[in-house]
Amino acid sequence: MFNPVAETRDGTSTNMADREKRRSAGSGSCLAATVAEPGPATKGSDREFLSQAGVGELLRGALLKMVEARPDDPVGFLADHFGSLAAAVVESGSEDLKEPRLSDGSSGDEGARGARAQQRLNRALWHLRLAHHSQRSAFGNNVRVAYDLLSLTGPFGHAGDSSPAGAPGGGVSGALYTQTLRCLCGEGGVPASTSAPLLCRLHCHDHEAVPYGVFRHGVLTCAVFSDYIRQAQRLYAQVCQPDEGPASRAACLAVLGALREALETSRDADSPSVKALRRLEASAKMSPHQLARVMTEAQARGPAGHMDAKEFENAAAELFIARVKVVS
Amino acid sequence: MSADDVTKGVACTLKPPVFLHFGGGDSKTQGCCSGVCVIDVALPPGKTTITFKNFYTALVSVRLQRRSPGQEGAAAKWCTALRDRPLMTNPHTEAGAQDYYSIDRKQMQVEPDGVSSIRLILKQPSSAWLTFSVQDVRIFPRMQPVRKELVFPPQDPLDVASVSCRLQQMWALSQVMQSSQSHAASVGRFDVRTTHARTSKYIFHLLTSP
Repeated sequence: MFNPVAETRDGTSTNMADREKRRSAGSGSCLAATVAEPGPATKGSDREFLSQAGVGELLRGALLKMVEARPDDPVGFLADHFGSLAAAVVESGSEDLKEPRLSDGSSGDEGARGARAQQRLNRALWHLRLAHHSQRSAFGNNVRVAYDLLSLTGPFGHAGDSSPAGAPGGGVSGALYTQTLRCLCGEGGVPASTSAPLLCRLHCHDHEAVPYGVFRHGVLTCAVFSDYIRQAQRLYAQVCQPDEGPASRAACLAVLGALREALETSRDADSPSVKALRRLEASAKMSPHQLARVMTEAQARGPAGHMDAKEFENAAAELFIARVKVVS
Repeated sequence: MSADDVTKGVACTLKPPVFLHFGGGDSKTQGCCSGVCVIDVALPPGKTTITFKNFYTALVSVRLQRRSPGQEGAAAKWCTALRDRPLMTNPHTEAGAQDYYSIDRKQMQVEPDGVSSIRLILKQPSSAWLTFSVQDVRIFPRMQPVRKELVFPPQDPLDVASVSCRLQQMWALSQVMQSSQSHAASVGRFDVRTTHARTSKYIFHLLTSP
C-alpha cells in the first residue's frame, strides 16, 4: 500500500507495522482488515479509503502516461512510473525534515548530494524518453516535468553552494543541462565526436541558471539531431551499392549537395508567402528527378574514390549544426 | 518524321464529303438524306492516329485501303478498321456533338500499316441534325517506343525515389529545429568583453573631456 510518510528508509516494515497497529485498534477503514470481514457495511469504507488515498488520481495519471508513451513493456513501465513517483515524494519529505541521510561528514554529504542529483537526472531522462518529439503536446509536457525535476534546489538549499543539483535563482544548473543533453545524444545513438560541435553551440556554463525556453530548445534539438543522424546513416546505406563496399564519393557529394541547397533555399523569411515559396523551391531541389540528374552528372564528372560512413555522417551533421544558433 | 509531325499532325488531303441519298432518280427531285456521309482521306504512309472534332455526327466507321507488305504488286484492298464507333450517346441530343476524338491504332481491328487511303463513314440517323460532319481531321505518325537511357548501369539501380524521400525527412527535421529556435529564450548572459570595452571607452571619454 502507498504510505506517504516514511519515517525510515525501509518503507516496507513501516507499512506492516502500521497495518498491525490499525488492525489491533479495530478500525474499519483499513483495507487489509476489511478483506477478512466482507459485508455490505464495508463497501462505503472501501470507497472512502480509496478517495482518501487519492488512488483514483494516481491510477488515472499512470494510465494517461502509459497511453502517451505506449511502451513495449507495460509492467516495467508502470513499475518505473510508480518508483519515480515514490522517490519524488520521499525526497520532498526528506527536504521538510532537513536531516541528511548519511551524516558521516562532508564527504558523505557530497556523495549523497551527487547520488541524488544523478537520481534526478535519471528520472528526468526517463520522462524525456516517454514520448517522441513529433508528439508535440506529450513531448512538451514531459520536458516541463523534467525541467521541474531538475530545477529543484538541493536538500540543503544554500545559495552559492557548489552542489550540482540546484541553481540559485531558479532554473536548471548549466552543468545538469549539459549532462542531460549529452545523455540524450548518446542514447539516440549519436557518437560523442559527432554531437560535440552541437553541444558547443547549445552550451551553457556550469554556473548559469538555464531558463525553461533554453532547456526546451536544447532538449528538442538533441532529440531531433539523433533522428537526423539515424536518417543520415540509413541514407549512406542506400547510396552504397551493395556489392562494392563504401559508396562512391561523387554520389555522396551529390546527395549532400542537394540537401545543402535545399537547406539554403529554405532560409528564414519574413512573410509567410515568401516562406512557402522557398519551401517549394527547396523541395524541388530534392525531387527524384532532380536527384537523378545530379547523380548522373556526378557519375560522369565527379571526383573519383570513395567516402566512408563516418565522413558522410560528419558532413551531414555539419549541415544540421551550421543552422543551430549559439545560445547566448 | 520530325518533331513537328508528332505534335501537329500531318497535312492530309480531305476530299469533300459525299452525302448519300436515296430515291429521286431524276435531277429535279433531291432525294432523301440517308444520314450517311463519306469522306476520303489521302495520306502518306505510316500514320496511325486520327484526331478530329466532331460536328453532330452520331457514329463513325473507318475503312482503310491498304496494301499488304508482301504483295506490292497487287491492288490495294479496302478493309474495315473500326465499325460504328459512337460519338454521340444519343443521336438526338447535344451530348458529344462537338467534342474532340482520337482514334488510335490500338482501337483499330486491322493494323494500319501500308495504308494509302482512309475512308471515314459518318452516320447520323436523327432527323434533328440535317448537316453533320467532322472537322479538323489530323493524322499522326506512329510513335517509336522511346528507349530510356539508364541512369546507372543495369546491375546497380539506385532507388532515387527513396533517397529523395529520406532527404526530405532530414530537411524536415532541420526545419523543426529551426522553428523551435525562433521561439527560444536567451540565457541572458552578461558578456564581459563588450561591457568592459564600453566601460573603458566611457571612462576614457570622461578623463579626456575638458
